[in-house]
Amino acid sequence: MLSGTVPMAASFTREHLRAPLTLALLLVIPVFFVLIFASVLGEFAKALGGTLAEQSATAISAGWAAAFLSGSLAFFQLSSSRGADRRLAAAGFGPVRVASARIAAALVLGITVSIIAFVTLWLRSGVEHPLHALVAIFGFAAIYIGVGALIGALVSSPLEGSLLVVVVFAVDAFSGPQMTSNGGLGSFTPTQDAANLLIAAGGGEGSPAADWLGVSAVTFGALLVALIAFWFVARTRS
Amino acid sequence: MTEYTEALEPNAESRTAVVLRATGIDKSFHRGVWPRRRTIEVLKGASLEVRAGELVGLVGENGSGKSTLMQIIVGLLGADAGAVERPERLGYCPQVPMLWDKLTADEHFDLFARAYGLADEARDRAVDGLLKELQFERYRGYRVEEMSGGTRQKLNLALALMHQPKLLLLDEPYSGFDWETYLRFWEMSEKRRAEGMGILIVSHLLAERDRLDRMYELCEGQVCSC
Repeated sequence: MLSGTVPMAASFTREHLRAPLTLALLLVIPVFFVLIFASVLGEFAKALGGTLAEQSATAISAGWAAAFLSGSLAFFQLSSSRGADRRLAAAGFGPVRVASARIAAALVLGITVSIIAFVTLWLRSGVEHPLHALVAIFGFAAIYIGVGALIGALVSSPLEGSLLVVVVFAVDAFSGPQMTSNGGLGSFTPTQDAANLLIAAGGGEGSPAADWLGVSAVTFGALLVALIAFWFVARTRS
Repeated sequence: MTEYTEALEPNAESRTAVVLRATGIDKSFHRGVWPRRRTIEVLKGASLEVRAGELVGLVGENGSGKSTLMQIIVGLLGADAGAVERPERLGYCPQVPMLWDKLTADEHFDLFARAYGLADEARDRAVDGLLKELQFERYRGYRVEEMSGGTRQKLNLALALMHQPKLLLLDEPYSGFDWETYLRFWEMSEKRRAEGMGILIVSHLLAERDRLDRMYELCEGQVCSC
């Protein structure tokens, strides 16, 4: 099974890295988020009565950069290739193998994006707990692979789908932990545990086991959702 | 639900063996949301048959369900009812090329060769032959986004042929071809028919009727011979 899936995943990854704009965004978005979006996030938190400190806002912005890029890339993986993926599945690979290759490609891109976001954060402000921060940033990326793939499976129009990814992202980002005085939607958003981990890691604090378990569960769930979404698109339509 | 089985008759290698039998295919699409929800009945008991070494046409008006029937036979679309008997080794050339814009022709061949289970040597032989036959060798390193519409269509067709299928399904495969390529396409089809391949081709053009062994027409969701 791997003999076909690995080259397929490599082709799907190459497909995305060949877009010059994607490559530029991989570098620009983390820098933009960590340097500029962080202060916007901090200002918003103040206006909403939240307690998000500058250092925490900078740390969490690296996570949002990974989330935004991974979600967008996962969405466009589906929206730009649904016909070709279905044809390849029907030619003999089957929808499960095509979906596995797609999720592998999304993970490679997610890990790449996470590393770039982490390095940007580390260069900007240093990180007390680098491993914790890297895991938390990857958590953001993986969760948004699920969000992007789910939207890509349900919304076929690239314009409407990409707008929906942005709406979900904006609601999630501006209702995260420490953003408002009363917690807002923070406790219901999928990224709340990853955000808690990242804020703690940025400030040199440890995190409770509940946050680690929460991130693991949500990350696993999001990747499962993404796998199902990729399968849904590559299968025989009813 | 469509029922798919491997085709077909006891002497399946013989020149007259049935390589495709679709029976009683029903398909409806549901469009829009309430209160504008509509059900469009496209196929109502459509049935057809293709034998080895036959070049069969499928004609019908726009929206008559030709491409829908093709997609059901290939397995890209499920039917509401009916059964399809077809060989596992089939080739499908969709009307609109289903390709990845950022991958090269060679990368497409590589992916599809793996999907068809072709060994490297068989893949190289098939690809070299098809590139020569369709005359687009110099584009093998080009990405799809860099190709003209006609070259994309050549790649689309070559992907359907590279594993020498027993049954070839072509959905208006020559849109975008220039006249020379169009004529070459028919030469290729006739050569493969002579080798025993069963070919079903969707067409709008009555002028092609002379090239076909038989023709089916889709009207009001049903297939009739003509």
